[in-house]
Amino acid sequence: MTKKNYISAALCLAVSIAIMISTSMNFLAAREVPMPEWGPSVTEVKMLSDWFDGLAGTNGDTPVYVLKGEKEGGAALVLGGTHANEPSGYMSAITFIETAVVEAGTIYVIPYTNHSAMTHNDPGEGNIQYFTINTQSGPRTFRFGSRATNPIDQWPDPDVYVHYPSNQQLSGSETRNINRGYPGRADGNLTERMAYGVAELIRAENVGITFDLHEASPEYPVINATVAHQDAMNIASEGCIELLLGGIDMSLEQSPTNFHGLTHRELGDYTDTMAILMETANASQGRLRGASSVEQVLGGLDRFYVINEDLGMLYVPFDESGHPIEERCGRHLQGVYEYISAYNNANPDDAILYSGVPGYAELFLMADPATLGGPHLGSYLK
Amino acid sequence: MSKKIITLLLAGVMMLSLAACGAKEAAPAPSAPSAPAASAPAAETTGLTEAFAESPILVTSGGQSADYQMIATVMGKVGMDYEVSNLCTSADLGDAKTLIIVVGGSSKGLGAAGIDADGELARLEELIAGAESAGLSIIAMHTGGEARRGDLSDKFITPIFEKADYAIVVTAGDEDGLMAGICANNSIPMDAIASISEVTTVLPAAFK
Repeated sequence: MTKKNYISAALCLAVSIAIMISTSMNFLAAREVPMPEWGPSVTEVKMLSDWFDGLAGTNGDTPVYVLKGEKEGGAALVLGGTHANEPSGYMSAITFIETAVVEAGTIYVIPYTNHSAMTHNDPGEGNIQYFTINTQSGPRTFRFGSRATNPIDQWPDPDVYVHYPSNQQLSGSETRNINRGYPGRADGNLTERMAYGVAELIRAENVGITFDLHEASPEYPVINATVAHQDAMNIASEGCIELLLGGIDMSLEQSPTNFHGLTHRELGDYTDTMAILMETANASQGRLRGASSVEQVLGGLDRFYVINEDLGMLYVPFDESGHPIEERCGRHLQGVYEYISAYNNANPDDAILYSGVPGYAELFLMADPATLGGPHLGSYLK
Repeated sequence: MSKKIITLLLAGVMMLSLAACGAKEAAPAPSAPSAPAASAPAAETTGLTEAFAESPILVTSGGQSADYQMIATVMGKVGMDYEVSNLCTSADLGDAKTLIIVVGGSSKGLGAAGIDADGELARLEELIAGAESAGLSIIAMHTGGEARRGDLSDKFITPIFEKADYAIVVTAGDEDGLMAGICANNSIPMDAIASISEVTTVLPAAFK
């Protein structure tokens, strides 16, 4: 080998090490997940491992914000971040934590249900890692994560994922999808243990109604929709009518009995809670979109989805205005309000009363269009 | 060159794999609203002019969407008495004098009910035949708007609406005039309403 070869090799090695250090730092930095600020009714922040110690010390353990009213009442649970690449889910949960004034009952909010999934993203998707929103206290940066548990925390995937206890078979990667892991099991893999922890919280705290906040790609048929366990259908019907009367396009679906692992199926079957899941339109998901961008995530904008709307390929209206984060969070938060109101009508002795959380009108309908896409939502955040 | 072609083909295959957060059920590809039937006129429908229906009322689904439950909730809110069964057959008609079928296809709902689309269609045809022979009034409703149109829902619309004595339709679900055309062709009174909230006025008005 000539001296010239040594120099070239040394340069290549140095560049490789520099890239490795840079990407490693970037990867490790993702483990710092930004947490919500304490809102007016937050009385304590516990960890999911307080209900199931099998999560203690793992990256699947996640904060649970407890918002307790002065009066006795029922209990509700709001799950954000089941899928960490669906930002209106966890941003709605964060907004709830920072704004809700609970008057009666207790509301548990988990902003990052799959905490592990928040600590990485899907490189093959070219997804963004962070987005920043100007809030009352200045710019705050939030994570954009992955649909599934971080493979650093759970690896390898089996070829076939066999759901417990139904024995339903799904593709191997779904073993890291917490919304295919319910009701979970205490001695299962990390994702199953996370699901088990959520179910244990519900059972221990007698949670009467549970919300799981999601997003879906505009080409996915179950969108702008609520899916409810059969035991929750009366409440869901009443709440859905109120949402329709309020100008929110919402369809209602009953949870299939033969599709397992999802909150709206298993939490309804294995706990006494009324399980409800909501979906909004996320322009940063799906396959008919352009390159990943903050505009997709916050603005809900994508010109390719506009084209696909004209081609009749989408299940949700899509124009140049897109579906900004305020619209999507507004749908979720209004949904939580209306379904809890319906729950209260059916359970007046266990009423859950709160105020202060911006709904669809405050977040979207009455907003200055120029402030949509992050700034208006940020005006409600601490 | 051949490598480029193979690469492009592989990229195309990858793009066909869709990802979403919910259940990856087999769903029909979205389709533009059906073109009006060739025989459909310019959908000149007439609304209901006088009450004709009587209680007891049986409410069922036509396609297993949850819209029938929402209509039942609305009926409860306005004080109407009813029985509801999403899987009823002619044997369940009992002493009912009016059958309300709320149309809307849902693959999740079909899954929840443990029935497929063909089975649901067969159930409805048997139910409607039984209701007709027993002299029941039949009210067809489509209240799910645009979300309850497409290949799956449309499969149930024609056979149910053709047999109806009265129809109530949320206009957003009938922009192509399919249901208006069926009603106009068959001289079925139809009230087109802007939202499900108007069910609270038009549906009670149909009952003596």
